[in-house]
Amino acid sequence: MLLALMGVALFAGWVSLASQQAGRMTIGDPAIPVIYVGILFAIHLAFVLTGRRMDQVLLPVTGMLGSLSLLLMARLPQGLAGLSLGGLDLGLAPLQLLWLSLALAVLAILAVAVRNDNWLREYKYTWAAVGIGLLLLVFVLPPAGAERIDAPRLSLRIGPITGQPSELLKVILVVFLAGYLAENRTLLARTSTRLGPVSLPPVPYLLPMLAMWGVALAIVIVQRDLGAALLFFTVFLTLLYVATRRFAYVVLGMAMFLVGATVLYQLFPHVRVRVDIWLDPWADPLGAGYQVIRGLYAFGRGGILGTGLGAGLPAVGDTPAIPAIHTDFVFAALAEELGMLGGLAIVALYAVIAERGLRIAARAADDFRALLAVGLTLVIVIQAALIIGGNLKLVPLTGITLPFISYGGSSLLANAIVIGLLLALSDRGVEPPPPPSSARRFRLPSRTPA
Amino acid sequence: MDAFTLTLWIVRITFVILLYLFFAALLRALWRDLRTTVATAGRSLGRLVVVTSPEGRPPAGASIPLDAITSLGRDVNNSITMEDSFVSAEHAVLTFRGRAWYLEDRGSTNGTYVNGQRVAGVVPLGYGDELQFGQVRLRLERVPA
Repeated sequence: MLLALMGVALFAGWVSLASQQAGRMTIGDPAIPVIYVGILFAIHLAFVLTGRRMDQVLLPVTGMLGSLSLLLMARLPQGLAGLSLGGLDLGLAPLQLLWLSLALAVLAILAVAVRNDNWLREYKYTWAAVGIGLLLLVFVLPPAGAERIDAPRLSLRIGPITGQPSELLKVILVVFLAGYLAENRTLLARTSTRLGPVSLPPVPYLLPMLAMWGVALAIVIVQRDLGAALLFFTVFLTLLYVATRRFAYVVLGMAMFLVGATVLYQLFPHVRVRVDIWLDPWADPLGAGYQVIRGLYAFGRGGILGTGLGAGLPAVGDTPAIPAIHTDFVFAALAEELGMLGGLAIVALYAVIAERGLRIAARAADDFRALLAVGLTLVIVIQAALIIGGNLKLVPLTGITLPFISYGGSSLLANAIVIGLLLALSDRGVEPPPPPSSARRFRLPSRTPA
Repeated sequence: MDAFTLTLWIVRITFVILLYLFFAALLRALWRDLRTTVATAGRSLGRLVVVTSPEGRPPAGASIPLDAITSLGRDVNNSITMEDSFVSAEHAVLTFRGRAWYLEDRGSTNGTYVNGQRVAGVVPLGYGDELQFGQVRLRLERVPA
């Protein structure tokens, strides 16, 4: 039912866009929306046929975000991204459709195939090692495509494939944190060290926190990726609070964040630029502040009802008015064409994902699954909040994607993994969790009858 | 305003309306889900599933619903009676306070173990933890909604 409504909305949007571009009433070339809706229904059918009792809301919400993405990509200049497959030249919209289809396939396979979570639960340190390995690869290998000296070094190129490992890294991070915290939460929640007014847990258990902080700093310094660093650290702090209910951790984490941020601001120009253009983009309106100002203008032009799909001004000819319109500034572009109402609807869709994710967590059979669900939800919601806030100049702009709407294969695939795992966790027919791994170490009580 | 502009405007507004209809349908689904959760919530705070019980009382595999205060031991006056030679008469007590479970050993002879560690005093528990009293091993689980 929800999917059908989503399909109708996508077609209305498609007609609106095509007519605006053609200057007459037309339905345009309906191939893209037809394929997309077809894939979604096929996945739904697969869920029904395999008899999974999963969350019924997440798939339509994800589908809706994907539809908005397709509408926007079809509207933007097609030359922003391109790929030649054989003799076939794919522009922005068909390419995004390809990535979306791949992402949805991954989502469906994960949701159907994941029947137990031991492969995540038991190998948390292996996953952590994989994550750190990915990170090191980016540090060591030459950056792909980033010739500018201040450009973030995000991409990893292996042969012909370029990807952004930090997208995958966030999923791995959540898996590791959920495993680690589920195992050690009672220890972490215990108070034993006192430092002035704040009471701290045993010092050795603070080490992961320091390590996380270090990793975040390393990402900012070496990779110049503020967004990922901010996302990782926020997710980490929130999960720590959820697992231990100790507010002291949050205070401590914020303090560490402030120290780290101040030092980085003083030492590194790329951090300073981000903060400065957030505080006053008009200081350098044609240089560093250009994007932010253009984004703000777009929100202003949109008004309440928006200019209509295809009628906005994100692009003059083939040059987009906002440089990163298809990745970082998708929210500004959609808010211009759909207005404040459309923008609010997008925010509401992410709120729905948050509600579903937290409910899945509340229903989870044990701590690992609950923490995993919370973490996966946080990754999507915090990322959306950071970039929407960045577009609106509420927080410093960081170069991360808007989940499921921005163009980009790595981002779509990573977020599809997140939703796929959430769906699998929401399934009521999955295997019960195994007994705690330390059960093997049970000592038999001394043989003295009570 | 010519016919085309008007039609386009209508299509445009229809798209926004459909977007919100979709959202309304979502909200309705969420609301229904919340209602069923509320209706089924509060029935039980959790349950203990018997993992191993060599002497058969309680039988292995049994699932025991928990009250906010559940006492465990060999004495028949406990909420959960465990007929096991290594369990004390008044062995331990499980309490649900605030939003979490706590376990307290009541001076048992052979001790109480959580995930293989002997515990003293009051310890917080998480769902999925395995408790051991004498030879009886139980797992604390959330009741599926």
